[in-house]
Amino acid sequence: MTENYRHLYVVIEHIDGEFLHVSLEMIGEARRLLDNFNSKYSSNEKVVAVILGYDIKDMSKQLIEYGADVVIYSDHPELKDIRNTIYTKVISQISQDKKTLDDVEPLYAGEIKRPRYMFFAADSIGRHLSSTVLTELESGLASDINQLVIEDIEMSHQQKTGGSKEIYAKTLEMYRPDFSGFLWTTILCLDNRNPAFKRDYHPQACSIIPGVFEPLKQDPKREGKIIEFIPKIDDKDLRVKVLSRKVIQSEVDFETPRTIVSFGRGVKDEPEQNIKLLEQLAKELNAEIGITLPISKKPFLVSQALDSKYMIPDRVIGTSGHKTSAMLYIAAGVSGAMQHVWGMKDSGFVVAINPDENAPIKDECDIFIKGRMEDVIPMLIEEIKKQIHIIEA
Amino acid sequence: MSTLNVAVIIKLEPDFSEGNVSYNPDGTLNRVETKNTLGPHSAIAAHAAFYAKVMYDAKVSIGTMGPPMADLALQQSQQISDAEELHLYSDRLFAGADTLGTAEVLKTGIEKMQGKMDIVFSGHRASDGETGQTGPQTGWKLGFTFLGNVISYNVDLETRMIRAKRLISLQGVPSVIEEVEAPLPVFISIDPTYKSSFDTVSQRLSFQKYQKEATERAENYKEYFKVFNADQLGVDKTLVGLPGSPTIVYKVEKVPKSTATRQAEIVDGSNHEQIKKVVARMKEALSAMVIK
Repeated sequence: MTENYRHLYVVIEHIDGEFLHVSLEMIGEARRLLDNFNSKYSSNEKVVAVILGYDIKDMSKQLIEYGADVVIYSDHPELKDIRNTIYTKVISQISQDKKTLDDVEPLYAGEIKRPRYMFFAADSIGRHLSSTVLTELESGLASDINQLVIEDIEMSHQQKTGGSKEIYAKTLEMYRPDFSGFLWTTILCLDNRNPAFKRDYHPQACSIIPGVFEPLKQDPKREGKIIEFIPKIDDKDLRVKVLSRKVIQSEVDFETPRTIVSFGRGVKDEPEQNIKLLEQLAKELNAEIGITLPISKKPFLVSQALDSKYMIPDRVIGTSGHKTSAMLYIAAGVSGAMQHVWGMKDSGFVVAINPDENAPIKDECDIFIKGRMEDVIPMLIEEIKKQIHIIEA
Repeated sequence: MSTLNVAVIIKLEPDFSEGNVSYNPDGTLNRVETKNTLGPHSAIAAHAAFYAKVMYDAKVSIGTMGPPMADLALQQSQQISDAEELHLYSDRLFAGADTLGTAEVLKTGIEKMQGKMDIVFSGHRASDGETGQTGPQTGWKLGFTFLGNVISYNVDLETRMIRAKRLISLQGVPSVIEEVEAPLPVFISIDPTYKSSFDTVSQRLSFQKYQKEATERAENYKEYFKVFNADQLGVDKTLVGLPGSPTIVYKVEKVPKSTATRQAEIVDGSNHEQIKKVVARMKEALSAMVIK
């Protein structure tokens, strides 16, 4: 059967000659999905890594070693800085260039118009790049995905199918946790088969949360194909000039400290006082302070000093923030939404403080102190003063 | 005529502040009970537009797509930005749109605003949808240069150039502040850490003057307010709402309760002796792991 859309394209991110880990994670997941896909559908579709930059040719082979079948690279001085406009244009060119698509797998030459699926990273680069590329390609995008499944889906949908029953074969189910962390939404990108407004929506694309998927082990014996794509560069797409880049140190450090004290909506009875208590507890343990996602939305009124120091996105532990493997993790007033648990579950020893014994955090901690933090933390501080003396490095 | 025309796209969102937000017993948002307000990231975008008002005497326009009650968000953002044009794009046809279908409406609306836009601002992301896609998608459809994660900016009115600082945070590498320069027009998605600063006396005087004007305007916001339906906007109906949305929400499920990864020992928080033991265990954990 002729299919106009094939293969899974992964847009690679790299800085100073190093891959961002999420790029390797995406290739690992792409490999797993397509291996199943190819055996299920007896096909030979490819994991295609797309890499743009300057002086990057040598990085291509490594992408094969990490699991890509094919690497398409564009090496050009104008691609040295990651600039949204020119990157969007070149990735869109690669996704639609007949010859390049044919070269990926000659078996399907002549019939392919675009990739079937496309992955980007859900970070400061990929989040915007995926949005603009998919606008240019006029197709669908789901953001911040943490699970992917490929299925044949039978459905009737008022708009998509005009109410009749249709099978959407090889559909990518894209799972994303919602803001509460308690709901999981599955997004599909589907062609409109409704005769009233027939229209193809391919590729099916998503941005993937860093740290969710496992990369494959680098294997120098893996083989694949490397294709150079010469970009067509128009001066009007080069209007942005990068003047300088300065590395900044975040004030929040989740890497060095052995202990992290984090809090959630459970501070709400007396937020100002409770956050101050948590500050004291953190001080005694030389700990960094983390928060859950809802706290970053500033649900309480507290003094400006506490608000701007703690209720900020930079402190979020979870899928929309940081992942930690602290030696000691103290979760105070944290319910334990999946969002948050993902960020802290690799910690060594976990203590939770919560009045509600049914809170999901109970299944994610080693000691569950049943009680209100207002009562528990002062006792903890008193005991820590007696028993634990942290020597600052 | 203004030297600079700026627009902001905003969104009415659930109000996550305590007292206004309501959660179901299972931890999910109770959308019926929860009040609505101008989204916090939209508010930051409105502040960024007000900066252009104070610094460059810009004309500010605001647009949103939503139900009739979204006029509240327009009023709130007018109070922040001293806007003199408020657009609400509201039609049953727009309902259920994904980000691409929404971006088409916003793009068409922005092109209907008075004056040719020099800068369009959007917030970082909505606090309910959290995709952060609508901004860059609208920018791309407008054909504007897109600048994301902007933490500060300045415009040179003579050369029609903008300089902006962008905060780039990536997994596993230190964050970077990148300074860029581009000719207008641009589309800016504002970083959550954006803060306007007004350093000179004359800037602070303008700030006060326009803030007062904003309050007066917001009290009579209906004078500045205009609603557009699909026909009035003149959108291509196959590009908006459900037909113009490549993606659908296929299912929403409770996140499956993961199997307990740890077996918690339950401790009575009012028992001092037990707390003493907890601290001893914490100490052990810290020291044991130092050795390891």
